[in-house]
Amino acid sequence: MATYTRNNAWNKGGNLTNPDLLWYAKGVGKMMSRALNDPASWWFYAAIHGEYVTPANIQPAFPGWKFIKAPPTVPTSPLPTKAAQDLYWNQCQHQSWFFPPWHRGYLMALEAQLRQDIVSLGGPATWALPYWNYFGGTNGSQYQMPPAFAAKKLPDNSPNPLFVNMRYGPDGNGNIFIPTPAGEAAHPGDPNFSRGQVNANYMSNDLYTGHDQVTKLPGFGGPETLFHHGGGTSGNWEGNPHNLVHVYVGYYGAVTAPLYGLMSDPGTAGLDPIFYLHHANIDRMWAIWNANGNANPTKSGWLKGPTTRKFVMPGTNGQPWYYTPDQMKDLAKLNYSYQELKSPPAPKAAGLPKRLALLGAKDAAAAAKKAPATPAKPKVTELLGASARPLKISGRVSKAAVKLDAGVRRKTTRSLAMAAKTAAPDNVYIKVENVRGTFDATVLSVYLDLPEGAKPGESRQYLAGNIALFGLRRASMKDGQHAGEGLTFILDATPVIDQLHLKNEFDVESLQVSVIPADPLPENADITVGRISIYREGF
Amino acid sequence: MIYNAEDWARLRNAVFAVSLVAWVVILLEPRASACCAVNAAGVSWTVLLAAHPPASLAGNWALMLIAMMAPMLVAPIYHIRISSFARRRARSTMLFAAGYGTVWMVAGIVIVAVELIAAWRMPGSYLPATIVGLTAVLWQASPFKQRCLNRCHSHRPLAAFGFAADLDVFRFGLEQGLWCTASCWAAMLFPMLLPEAHFTAMAAVAILMFCERLDPPREPRWRWRGFGTAARSLSLRLRGPQRDPAPLTAVS
Ligand SMILES: [Cu+2]
Repeated sequence: MATYTRNNAWNKGGNLTNPDLLWYAKGVGKMMSRALNDPASWWFYAAIHGEYVTPANIQPAFPGWKFIKAPPTVPTSPLPTKAAQDLYWNQCQHQSWFFPPWHRGYLMALEAQLRQDIVSLGGPATWALPYWNYFGGTNGSQYQMPPAFAAKKLPDNSPNPLFVNMRYGPDGNGNIFIPTPAGEAAHPGDPNFSRGQVNANYMSNDLYTGHDQVTKLPGFGGPETLFHHGGGTSGNWEGNPHNLVHVYVGYYGAVTAPLYGLMSDPGTAGLDPIFYLHHANIDRMWAIWNANGNANPTKSGWLKGPTTRKFVMPGTNGQPWYYTPDQMKDLAKLNYSYQELKSPPAPKAAGLPKRLALLGAKDAAAAAKKAPATPAKPKVTELLGASARPLKISGRVSKAAVKLDAGVRRKTTRSLAMAAKTAAPDNVYIKVENVRGTFDATVLSVYLDLPEGAKPGESRQYLAGNIALFGLRRASMKDGQHAGEGLTFILDATPVIDQLHLKNEFDVESLQVSVIPADPLPENADITVGRISIYREGF
Repeated sequence: MIYNAEDWARLRNAVFAVSLVAWVVILLEPRASACCAVNAAGVSWTVLLAAHPPASLAGNWALMLIAMMAPMLVAPIYHIRISSFARRRARSTMLFAAGYGTVWMVAGIVIVAVELIAAWRMPGSYLPATIVGLTAVLWQASPFKQRCLNRCHSHRPLAAFGFAADLDVFRFGLEQGLWCTASCWAAMLFPMLLPEAHFTAMAAVAILMFCERLDPPREPRWRWRGFGTAARSLSLRLRGPQRDPAPLTAVS
């Protein structure tokens, strides 16, 4: 039995009668009472994830920490020494296969500090962070933020440290919920826009890094990153639900824009106490994914951690605590457990048999169903088409023509037509490259050949995927860790291409990609896509 | 489509092989490295130029570029390969190399001219090398250097079709060449001015330039830079990660 068990935050109605949450509030309050340069302060921990307060990251307006609307009142001085900043701050690992293990250590370190403070206040010595499972509850009813975070006062009438002003939610009105299938049903949203859904579909992935017929690129846990600092591509689990939840909790309202919520940007997210409950859930589902029999990387490049910078947290003993993914990979060994470690009802990947049947290869489909082979690995990956110029995202819909190369397209049409014989039709991906800008707080839906006049909400069959721009501003900073290359997204367009192929609409000069934000973008929202390209994968 | 360790390793090996061949030629053919052939005390300009015809100077310079610079081009070439149609990959890589090489060849005119003038006016003197060496050290630690390095890490989106694609990769080569020259000019000039140990200094500079590219981009400021990542990865190879004896689970 593990010493520390993380419990569901919705226990006892998710309000401040839940002792996990009440003690969390008190611990956060104590950490918030410390100075910015104190490694045991709430602000210091937020800056470990990312900050906009040092000269290198300072911003002329929000999200500069100076411009955050209280509560909480965020200090901007005194800064810690340069050495402390270089050692600890701005570490968060995103768009990388280090995303899951880095955040696991981050949670443990913060939790150790909180526990120390909670014990000093008379709380339990086995206190652990609760998690917010937005997929949980009867019929997925826990999509709503636990009410303890919306309460302005603690039971003793002192201000509630869990309450944060800059949290706007998907409707932009301060009601914080996650548009999971259940959340979406309860809040239909603006019919002219297209709200990217948060779901747990990627739990059906079977590869941490890489891809096959059930796992799309770059894999559940994220792309291998080492000395290569190319444009960032989030791992599948990091993309949805992680990035989408960040954006939807923070978000923006018609009145508040272009200000957006703290959770929508990695440089402010750690300031919001809900952050750590979201990450506890992401971490929990990683543990479930492992418990379901899926393996973590075994390459030494992952096990030992990045060579560019070590993972390090301030220990409660005042000494730096260094850790590696190898130490983080097994939750039980860390003396941790979760209240719920069972598999959520992740929809099974439809898989090859269904696809073969759709493509008219009935015999092959039956054979594949009878003897499911280990998912095949692709033999070739090549460019199939690309847009000619950058696309500015604004208004209701932004469209780009993606011209196809006739020769490469023929290979894919042939493979789809030959599915009955080979049982290995091509996969097709859309790559949204080099997305740059400063407005992180939106989710974009990417459609292929969306018919004129179609309501986006009813046009799922043309949807290639949803992308949340969490991290956009930082990835676009010219002297930032990505050299300003921005974010890159890879969407599995195979199902849409199959449909187009069946309607004889794939064998064309060019396809039209429509990018639709989840809500009207603020006028001066600055978002540009460098190139949209289409790739084929042959087996 | 995105970074893939196996494809990366294949490309890296090919590019390193090209660099290695260039190094071997330089090593076997000492005259191929321009500097060592200069012995110009007191001769006139015309004699100097007759002894060092521009064509051979240019050839030697180009050889040196291939040896020293190729290993740093793995990342941009990888970017070009994944962004281009399979049938265009070789052509695009060539056009990129042409753009990149053009910048360095133009820079080479200045660098080799300085080298010749130094050898002509102060044969055997360590003064020019010392001055440039100190400048290189200062430049290495400066925020300007970091800015250039950051730009070297940035890869723009590329057009895929026709003339636009050709133009884009050539321009990408020019940009990379410009930032690379701005980043490395002092370090490249230094070995050229050394009266001896020219080859060793060149190899050392090549290693430094390669290692500094392994560091991720970061904010420009005064600091020593060059071997951070390289040293860490070497120590990880040799010693393995240092474990923390007590994971952070106990209340202290
Ligand atoms: Cu996060």
